[in-house]
Amino acid sequence: MDIQRGNIIVMDRRRGKLRAGQGLLQGLKVVWDHWIGSFRKNENFSQIHGTFTIEYPDERMKLPQAYRNMPVLIYDDETGHELCTACYQCARACPPEVIHITQAKDPNTGKMVPASLEFIIEYDACMSCGLCAEACPFDAIKMDHFFELATDDRMGLLQRKADLNRPISYYTTIAPDLWDEVKEGAMKKLQGSIKRRPGVIGIAGHLSDKIAARRRELEAEAAAAPPAPADAAPAAPAGKLSPEEKAAKLAAMRAAKAGGAAPAAEAPAPAPELSPADAKAAKLAAIKAANAAKKAAEASAAEAPAAPVDEKAAKLAAIRAANAAKAAAAEAPAAPVDEKAAKLAAIRAANAAKAAAAEAPAAPVDEKAAKLAAIRAANAAKKKSE
Amino acid sequence: MYDVINHLINTVFGLGWPSWAISLIAYLLVATILFLVAPFQMLFLTYFERRAIAQMQDRIGPNRVGPQGLFQPVADGVKMFTKEDIVPDAADKWVHLIGPCVVVAPTMFMFAVLPWGPGMVPLDMNIGLLFFFAISSVSAVGLMASGWASNNKFALLGAMRAVAQMVSYEIPAVLSLLAIVLVTGSLSIVDLIHQQAGLFISSADVPGIPDLGLGWFVFTPVGFLAFIAFFIAALAEGERTPFDIPEADSEIVAGYMTEYSGMKFGLFYLAQYVLNFLLCAITAIIFFGGWQGPGVGWLYAQAITPTNPDGNGLFNVLAGMLGVFYFLAKTYFFFFVMVWVRGAYARLRIDQLMDFGWKFLIPLTLVNVISAAIWVGLTKWGAAEGLAFVEGWAPLMRWGVAFVITLLLNIAAYIFLARVYSQAQDERARLDNEVLERLTNVA
Repeated sequence: MDIQRGNIIVMDRRRGKLRAGQGLLQGLKVVWDHWIGSFRKNENFSQIHGTFTIEYPDERMKLPQAYRNMPVLIYDDETGHELCTACYQCARACPPEVIHITQAKDPNTGKMVPASLEFIIEYDACMSCGLCAEACPFDAIKMDHFFELATDDRMGLLQRKADLNRPISYYTTIAPDLWDEVKEGAMKKLQGSIKRRPGVIGIAGHLSDKIAARRRELEAEAAAAPPAPADAAPAAPAGKLSPEEKAAKLAAMRAAKAGGAAPAAEAPAPAPELSPADAKAAKLAAIKAANAAKKAAEASAAEAPAAPVDEKAAKLAAIRAANAAKAAAAEAPAAPVDEKAAKLAAIRAANAAKAAAAEAPAAPVDEKAAKLAAIRAANAAKKKSE
Repeated sequence: MYDVINHLINTVFGLGWPSWAISLIAYLLVATILFLVAPFQMLFLTYFERRAIAQMQDRIGPNRVGPQGLFQPVADGVKMFTKEDIVPDAADKWVHLIGPCVVVAPTMFMFAVLPWGPGMVPLDMNIGLLFFFAISSVSAVGLMASGWASNNKFALLGAMRAVAQMVSYEIPAVLSLLAIVLVTGSLSIVDLIHQQAGLFISSADVPGIPDLGLGWFVFTPVGFLAFIAFFIAALAEGERTPFDIPEADSEIVAGYMTEYSGMKFGLFYLAQYVLNFLLCAITAIIFFGGWQGPGVGWLYAQAITPTNPDGNGLFNVLAGMLGVFYFLAKTYFFFFVMVWVRGAYARLRIDQLMDFGWKFLIPLTLVNVISAAIWVGLTKWGAAEGLAFVEGWAPLMRWGVAFVITLLLNIAAYIFLARVYSQAQDERARLDNEVLERLTNVA
């Protein structure tokens, strides 16, 4: 029997006069038919006798493609890039507000990148409405078919990006037609996003081989680029500066400015062959040194007008401190292999500042002030170094 | 069993024990076997019922515990045993405790006269049938006691209903059996089975009929009507749907079982299913020949019996196995019919139940007793009883005339009573409507 919607089905109810006891027998007949029919399984729902039961843990119903349970994130199999651009559309659409996104930042420039750094969905409060998937302009969030989420660990239902990531190949197994509909646009948008993602940002975190491959690729690109001569280091290249170099230069300038009379330009020009990590460390060291020097200088400068006799000595101390800081800062980029070196540089700067301050007692009147300045400088340096 | 033990102890081992010791051992052994068999029957029947009713409702039923869910009753039993036994504060503690025991005990006694196969009867009483039904009535006392002692309105209501129902429906049950007793002239259940040899015609009525063990009483008009009436009464006595009014879980929680939990509830459950088994068994025995069936009679004739001491022991085993098989097959079929009826019909109201019992079944079975008397007169009586005219007829002729007359009488009685009963029901419905209209002022 083929039942179509809108068709009128005429049921033969076998009406007519029932003689005594006939109705009872008809009732028994109905039950008998069901009992006999129950030994075979129904193929479709137009069959009205027979078992419909699907014995769930052993056998499973095929879920319709548009079935939705919980949202997951999609990433591309080939490049490993996530489709999500952290546009916050899903978080805005979410009625129970269980989606939390942190956008990725370029570590060098500090600018936002079209990728998510962390993506959290609280599955325990998610109501499976699917509005996030509807709202997503990049087809990055899709509704999964997995529904066996029962757990005794509520916090385990707080799904982070690592738990949410699913490859496109998985999504095509559960909803091939739905993916075909959006595939072209989604992949196009993904290519656009990839172009704007520096380094390995945006590659799904668990794909370590993809990340490593991308790193190698980047290194190969860097090697292929014309290397600047190493001895040209003090004279900072004027024209094209990498973001790292720019940042280092900026830091050096700032340190110099803080140090007062110290000549700025040539001091902390970093070597062009520095890796980004090294540049970062150098920048850090420079900043620390500059801060220490500034503190020391400020302290001595503040005391200076109070004791004009000792003005010269204080100034001298300040200059020395600045010089020491400068020296430290200059020294820093020379071998700033890591943070440890930077720390060392900061300590040295502090020591220099301390020494400069210690020379102050030449003028006994201002002994106290100078001492104070020295202690402050030392403290500041110590703090920084810590 | 006495013979076997006696043979084993006094002949094989030559111990020369007195007969009372042999009897004691034999009966203890039989009692032990029966007390083991009864709960296992109950376990199997619960599983059987659940699976069967599930399939009638297009479901599958319990199939997770063991192969095809066969150990589900064991799991249920473990659950029953480990549950807390709750006695309500306001209950009469002792009566509350004794109630279930009084309900279970009679069902166990009833096994005493139940023949399982040829020569396999614990006790062949000459008043076996009377014993069976007299003992089964005792459980009504237990039901009333437990319902009363629970001190709960639902329990009391359920107990009242149960007792009213059991008392009412014992009358048609016993009246329909009375017809059979008239025909057989014996109250012994073993005799009853022996008289059902033959082939559609009992060899007790017409000598010389080939014995295929199919001379069941259900093939006679008297027996058929008695079977229908008895089975309906059995449904009511066993508190099966559509007569499960005492339990009526949708109306009065669980009837007299409301305040019971744990193993006491389990005892009620046990009693109910064992009683159902026994009622099905007695239906199979009285109307469907019990262990009678093709081959059993022949096998048993070769076996060692009091009348044939030189038989072969192997035939005892074969006849016993085949007989028990026939008996259990019939019994389980009737239990299946009980489940089938449960799947098909809705529960009756208490007044409908009483109407049906008193106004329809009892007159019908009374007419059936008259039919049985006619049957006995035409097939068995002669000049000595004042029926000289049948003397000259051939046995088959006598049987045929008896068959036609009783058939006509029974059909006429059924149609007449059905018409009267349905008119009475219509009238009653009309009166109910009138009262309703008067009370509600709705036209």
